Amino acid sequence: MKIQFNGLEETIPQGLSIRKLIEFFGEGDPHVIVEQNGRYIYPKNYDRCMIAENDRIEFINPNLGG
Amino acid sequence: MVLLDSDRYARQIKLAQIGTTGQERLAGSTVLIAGAGGLGSLSALYLAAAGVGHLIICDPDHVEISNLNRQLLHAETSLGKPKVASAADRLGQLNASIRITPAQVRLDHGNMDGFLEGVDLVVDGCDNYQTRQVINRACRGHNLPWVFGGVQGFDGMISSFLPGTTACFECIVPDPATKSGAPSPDNGILGACAGMIASIQAMEAVKLLLGIGTPLANRLIRISGLDMRITTTCLSPNPDCRACGPTRQKPRTKKNENPI
Repeated sequence: MKIQFNGLEETIPQGLSIRKLIEFFGEGDPHVIVEQNGRYIYPKNYDRCMIAENDRIEFINPNLGG
Repeated sequence: MVLLDSDRYARQIKLAQIGTTGQERLAGSTVLIAGAGGLGSLSALYLAAAGVGHLIICDPDHVEISNLNRQLLHAETSLGKPKVASAADRLGQLNASIRITPAQVRLDHGNMDGFLEGVDLVVDGCDNYQTRQVINRACRGHNLPWVFGGVQGFDGMISSFLPGTTACFECIVPDPATKSGAPSPDNGILGACAGMIASIQAMEAVKLLLGIGTPLANRLIRISGLDMRITTTCLSPNPDCRACGPTRQKPRTKKNENPI
């Protein structure tokens, strides 16, 4: 199915949780911030939150320089 | 209070949301700017120019040549000077009618409270996780708003944290081990990127001081400068947050070993 991932269209398998999506994309930062449809998702909900068709997903690496 | 600088601020006093009352309020405000680097340089310049009556600027470092691509408070003539001395000189030249308190200090859990006496708001100009944690905890303790900003490369993010009302910094960045959290001279940064984020922080600071507009509360703006993609994430307090959640813990360390 298709989703918008970091602003680009991507095709992913059906039935992925956010935790599985992190694995699917090989995200290396264990502390990445995940946003689903404009909302911050806390890590404890990664297994519970499922990805749906046309979801907008963002993986955010915090910028902490100044 | 009679404003002696009404000409200087004429163009912002014209704004209905500010006016003479708002300008007087700015003149009576105190803002602590944590860091006189890429972010703090620009937010300090804008807040001084706007007539915020008292700026406290904290930074332990000295001006280096590699700072000058982005830290616009400092000039070649300031090389080797404490950043806060350079900052006070430059801000004093820009606006001699405001009070500037330079503090050459590394903010930590032990000294932060002492700097918050009389402060209305904190603007983040740090370059590391630990000092932001110090600000986050202290602002929560003093019930003070603070405006977070962070930059790296061409990218940056901003949010306003209002204790007791919004998600806090540690709700969204709970772990100091975050990959991008470590300051490093190897991390590149374009000056305009820091300026872009700091300008938004200054805008938010003025809004919060005056109670105008809609604060950037429970919203995280992210700007990807290379493709100029700007996104906003909705935040909510994290019930598991170790700083503001119901089961919050004390910070583990008293000393902050990282620079501002």
